[in-house]
Amino acid sequence: MSQSKTGSLDRRGFIKGAAAGAVAASTPGTVHAQDDHQDIPSDPALRVKALESLLVEKGLVDPAALDALVDTFENRVGPRNGAEVVARAWLDPAFKQRLLDDGTAAIAELGFSGWQGEKLTVVENTPDVHNVIVCTLCSCYPWPLLGLPPTWYKSAAYRSRAVIDPRGVVRELGLELPDDIEVRVWDSTADSRYFVLPERPAGTESMSEDELAALVTRDAMVGVAKVASPAVGVGA
Amino acid sequence: MNSIHDMGGMQGLGELDYQESEPMFHEPWEGRVHAMAMVLPLFRGFRTEIESIPAAEYLRMSYYERWLTTLYAQVVKHGLVTTEEIESGRADPDSAKATSAVTPEAALARLRRIRQSDEATDIPAKFSVGQRVRGRNINPTWHTRMPRYTRGKIGFVERDRGVAYLPDNETSADPRKLQHVYLIRFTARELWGEQASPRDSLYIDMWEDYLEPA
Repeated sequence: MSQSKTGSLDRRGFIKGAAAGAVAASTPGTVHAQDDHQDIPSDPALRVKALESLLVEKGLVDPAALDALVDTFENRVGPRNGAEVVARAWLDPAFKQRLLDDGTAAIAELGFSGWQGEKLTVVENTPDVHNVIVCTLCSCYPWPLLGLPPTWYKSAAYRSRAVIDPRGVVRELGLELPDDIEVRVWDSTADSRYFVLPERPAGTESMSEDELAALVTRDAMVGVAKVASPAVGVGA
Repeated sequence: MNSIHDMGGMQGLGELDYQESEPMFHEPWEGRVHAMAMVLPLFRGFRTEIESIPAAEYLRMSYYERWLTTLYAQVVKHGLVTTEEIESGRADPDSAKATSAVTPEAALARLRRIRQSDEATDIPAKFSVGQRVRGRNINPTWHTRMPRYTRGKIGFVERDRGVAYLPDNETSADPRKLQHVYLIRFTARELWGEQASPRDSLYIDMWEDYLEPA
């Protein structure tokens, strides 16, 4: 299912090199990174450092505020939050109903709220309906429940193809959807953010909330995978 | 704007580059860029700026390289920093401080806040649930949240989302234009023709200005 990590890194490296070249070429008076006389460095890390130190010097940015935000994204939000919501919905039918009726209010019961989750719509996968989330215009994503989107979600390939060929895209990611299932694609281009409530897999009847949450993956909550049954080990 | 960012329905844009798990930020500078964009008062025009990156560069750049390019442009456009300061890398000692820095506490509160919405719910709705509507054939040269694949296509109003500011007006003389937003369902066949499954649909929220009765 996963492509080779080395391949992706090589590709990223190539893209970065090309982009740095493009920036250098399009910025008058800018030369390559190894030249000591450049005005604006073409390497993104150096350009960010230059901008941050200027903004700090001008009193416009408090570096501690940046540290706090980075720490939050790296350590406090992420798909584990969404998995907790899914496990609760599987065990508590009243909570599930509230979640489908008003996602924002229901996740706040579990302590989740905030930026990119202010208007949350939860869509339910069933044996008859499969939902897939995308943002074709940028990369809108329900931050409070899933954290920041992965690279593939932000890729031009996913953004362009998920709407015209959702079945092909999920097949490429390892999920074959039968012809008789209805596929609903949700393009998150306005203020609403979307979140998929996956189907509870068979063989989980006696599992606790924590055990259930451990089964739920990011991909299942975006709708490009199903939650695997623990007995089988792979998605049905 | 009919620029490369509006890519829904295009083909031939490369690989998904799927990874089962990856860090939130691949390199430390990406986190700094993300956080700077969140604490600086640069929202107005941010998307217009990203969408103005020439197509070839947009596709070559990584996600955060686009943000970084946009940050540089926006700090100048919003008057926070001058081009001379960027070129020299040093603050002009005589420059006025345009705004005060957001504290760590305020930054985190921003992340957690629940936005107050529906401040003007008495605005009348033009369309009603179940109504047949068509995506208008508009081609603004500025930011819009109407993807071009919906233009001229017929869909149905599934839900009235209440009112929200029209993003198209963000950089206009009337930036706070409130109107209803509707959840619209288009059949996959209406959008993509016979090759699409007759069972499938696409759902998208659309501002009133994007729609006309059909």
